[in-house]
Amino acid sequence: MTRDELKRHVESHFNGKLTPLDTGRFDPMFEVRPDDLLDVARGLRDDDELKFDFLCNIGAVDTGEHFEIVYSVASIGKSLRLDFKVTLSYDKAEIESVQEIWPAANWHEREVWELYGIDVKNHGNLKRFLLPDDWDQGHPMRKDWDAPDFVRLSEE
Amino acid sequence: MGVIKKVPYYLDKVPGGGIMSTSLEGILSHAQACSVWYLLFGTACCAIELMCTGASRYDFDRLGMIFRPTPRQADLIIAAGTITKKMAPRLRRLYDQMAEPRYVIAMGGCTINGGPFYYDSYAVEKGIDHIVPVDIYVPGCPPRPESLLEGCLNLQKKIKSQKLPDWHEK
Amino acid sequence: MAALRTEEFVVSMGPHHPSTHGVCRLILTMDGEKVVHIEPVIGYLHRAIEKICENRTYPQCVPLMDRFEYVTSMACEHAFALAVEKLAEVEVPERAEYLRVIMVELNRIASHLIFWGVTAMDGGAYTPFLYGLRERELIIDLFEMTCGQRLTYNYIRIGGVSRDIPPEFVPQCREALKIISGKMSDYEGLLNENPIWLVRTKGVGVLSPEMAIAYGASGPVLRASGVDYDIRRNDPYSIYDKFDFNIPTQPNGDCYDRFVQRLDEIRESIRIIGQALDGLPEGDFKKKISPRFKAPAGEVYSRLESSRGEMGVYIQADGTTKPLRVKLRGSSYNHLEVVPEIATDVLIADLVMIFATLDIIMPEVDR
Repeated sequence: MTRDELKRHVESHFNGKLTPLDTGRFDPMFEVRPDDLLDVARGLRDDDELKFDFLCNIGAVDTGEHFEIVYSVASIGKSLRLDFKVTLSYDKAEIESVQEIWPAANWHEREVWELYGIDVKNHGNLKRFLLPDDWDQGHPMRKDWDAPDFVRLSEE
Repeated sequence: MGVIKKVPYYLDKVPGGGIMSTSLEGILSHAQACSVWYLLFGTACCAIELMCTGASRYDFDRLGMIFRPTPRQADLIIAAGTITKKMAPRLRRLYDQMAEPRYVIAMGGCTINGGPFYYDSYAVEKGIDHIVPVDIYVPGCPPRPESLLEGCLNLQKKIKSQKLPDWHEK
Repeated sequence: MAALRTEEFVVSMGPHHPSTHGVCRLILTMDGEKVVHIEPVIGYLHRAIEKICENRTYPQCVPLMDRFEYVTSMACEHAFALAVEKLAEVEVPERAEYLRVIMVELNRIASHLIFWGVTAMDGGAYTPFLYGLRERELIIDLFEMTCGQRLTYNYIRIGGVSRDIPPEFVPQCREALKIISGKMSDYEGLLNENPIWLVRTKGVGVLSPEMAIAYGASGPVLRASGVDYDIRRNDPYSIYDKFDFNIPTQPNGDCYDRFVQRLDEIRESIRIIGQALDGLPEGDFKKKISPRFKAPAGEVYSRLESSRGEMGVYIQADGTTKPLRVKLRGSSYNHLEVVPEIATDVLIADLVMIFATLDIIMPEVDR
């Protein structure tokens, strides 16, 4: 299946839950609403022609206006690749965990919680991970985070 | 006796052979410098260069330096690699567990002042000299094995020039 | 006789431990010599590379990518360069692509030689460490001849490579590959049939293919469990579709298979480099990219096959000279997630072997 065929198949088979975006520069990129996340994830994994069983990456982005969580998945048997993202506003920053569908998501979601402050429901193990044990300076990867020894370099 | 002709300059030559005299400091510090055992402590990229320096081509063993896995049997910590704020108390604890006389070599840019992570890393300790007292700094990112060997030879020179009371006051 | 009453106790293995491949702390709950529960504690090498990348222009991020996984720096730089080139649709000259493939495959051989030496040392055999690092020095000489550095190269840049190879590179490379491939049968004969090594590694730490895929294991770990998947063939990037090479797999997924898998991969890499050296074209070695390079707005996740598994870079750009977000995905992150699943109810010496054969490097986990 080529990338365009994949895009058309996904659009037609998920009755509108996956809306295509054109920001993806190589692989197809879709947008999902936070409430549909678990249905879409289960559908992608169990569909007979797609079988997306390998979760490559979960990345959180702070664009300055909202949060985005980007899921990158791949299919081992069919050699396919797909990305989709969920947009969250700053004051409602919570998401469901997908670790029942892809167990690899456990640590990725823990890191998203720790560095961005996005609450992950049904995770079970949201504890201190990468930062020191006595860290009290907030969530460092947010755009509005600052510290006395953090130097912002100019464009030169 | 042929040996007398080859003794190092600081040993007095006694005519007739048979007895050599030197100061206690001289012989003890010479013996100590030629057998410094280092702790296998490597966190990041410099650890690979430390491994290469200890391996076949650039050999640490010819200087008398063998790696030891525990600080109780080591004289030297070669702090190779970035030390983060989470790791800093552990480095201090390892240093405290070593028996005196003990030495520290700061290998690589990250241990000297933070290296490439100096400006804007929120989790890196910018230099280890506010955690442990450092004897020799070896710059580089990562330093070549020859630089590290020169650092160790400088350490040997430093040890040989020590006076006895220095050990107890460290 | 009264029944024996045992109690569990907690041991903290690390962060400074000679066999944890960097700074990883494993909190083990043990019942005698058996491990009952493992909890990895990481973050001792978290250097905030992703936050720093948001503060640097695109060409300035390249040396930082080296430090993401220093044993295979060429692959890290290649992953970043591929992602930026896909974002901005930059055309890379063909000679640069061939040089990139040669360097990445040489780096793969060097990394597998380190793996072989260090894993044998963890199992108690000290000799392979000295042999492996001696052969690796031949490859490091080649890198030093080209770009001046032994470990963190800063060679593969956006748009090509930083400088051309000198004329003595090709004959010296062929000589080095001849020496290494001549020694491969010696290396395999050293440990692969040794009865002590077989008892220590066969049947230990079996990873089933379903669990490997579910937990995101990739690269040699996935292929040693029997899954025939290699990004160079299934999702080709660069010019890998021009080369002819096999993808070895092993049937069982235990420590022995993971150990042997990487030795087989060294042979395949030698084949690829031979083909690339034969077909090296003339031409430019880089496309000029301005230091104020602006990538158009968009996002991409690009992945490649590094020596440990799948290495991925996700970049989101907003049209300025600095990226909005760079997320790095290292294969050791997922492999370390697998360790508590396959290493319970084993002896502590087996835990060391499992940890070593998964080839976990901590900067990929912590970034």
